[in-house]
Amino acid sequence: MIWEFELVLFVFLVFAAIVALEARNLLVSVVMLSVFSFSAALLFASMGAVDVGFTEAVVGAGVTGILFVIAIHKTSAKTND
Amino acid sequence: MKRSFESPITLLGARALAPFIMMFGLYVIFHGHYSPGGGFQGGALLAASVLLMRVASGSKTSSLILSNAVTTPMGVVGVLIYFGTGLLAMLLGSNFLDYEGLPIPGMPPYYLRYTGILIIEVGVGLAVMAALVLIYDKMADGEVTE
Amino acid sequence: MEMFLANYAYGFTLLILCIGLYGMFFKRNLVKKVIGLSIFQAAVIMFFVSLASKMGGTVPVKWDEIPVEMIDGYMNPLPHTLMLTAIVVGVATQGVAFGLLVNIWNRFKTLEEDTLNEAILEDSRD
Repeated sequence: MIWEFELVLFVFLVFAAIVALEARNLLVSVVMLSVFSFSAALLFASMGAVDVGFTEAVVGAGVTGILFVIAIHKTSAKTND
Repeated sequence: MKRSFESPITLLGARALAPFIMMFGLYVIFHGHYSPGGGFQGGALLAASVLLMRVASGSKTSSLILSNAVTTPMGVVGVLIYFGTGLLAMLLGSNFLDYEGLPIPGMPPYYLRYTGILIIEVGVGLAVMAALVLIYDKMADGEVTE
Repeated sequence: MEMFLANYAYGFTLLILCIGLYGMFFKRNLVKKVIGLSIFQAAVIMFFVSLASKMGGTVPVKWDEIPVEMIDGYMNPLPHTLMLTAIVVGVATQGVAFGLLVNIWNRFKTLEEDTLNEAILEDSRD
């Protein structure tokens, strides 16, 4: 555990989460959600949960990102939020 | 899947990247019983490589890698490997999923447990890969429900 | 200072939890709601993982220099295993959510909550 590194990652996480929820284009949201997942995976690995971090990186950034993109492609990418 | 534009660069990048992701997925599955990783993570990596090709190259080219009709039987085979390992141990006189009862000759019991976990992880990997690709297929070219 | 170092992760986890809850409650778009759900789930996982971590502990893989009896040397592996299951369940939840989203779009041609409510009322009136 290196707490300075974790502090930077936490700030990054909060920033990515807010941008993912506030962006007008849903593709931007999905990319920021992938960034969120990767930062969370780094944080888990730094907290000692190597297995959880690995799973989060594979699933949250790989498979879920692709599923989000195809769902948005089938519907629409614009929103007013 | 209908594509709004076609780019040879993304196709080339995906084709260069997909075999390495697949290799890494196999590594994760076959080393999962003594290091971080395992059936679910390796299966998700294999599925990610197939999905990468499907997104980049459309369904006609990517069905050469893994055909749409193959995914459901593959998931069934994965579940059967898991269930059959447990049932075989139970039929030979020990508990369900107790790998010590597996009929592999010439192995001490602790090594038999080690191997039993490996067999089960292969089944889990197959099932997870098939299920994730199946979700994509059904969503990408599923019929319109009207 | 010791107190802050031991506990600041919980404060950030709570903040991320609130952001996810805000996304699920106040965003009108259904895809944004699924994104909020994903953030919320990551925050819950983060809470359990930070609960398991120890100052000066190492990864829960057996190492000869630290004997197994010295439990302060290893992190607690039980919450990690539980959270592995939670991630797998989360993928299944999101797959079902995407199926529902595509079906809603095919039927009503909208994903915004306000217009969707009107379209459902219109549909049930016929």
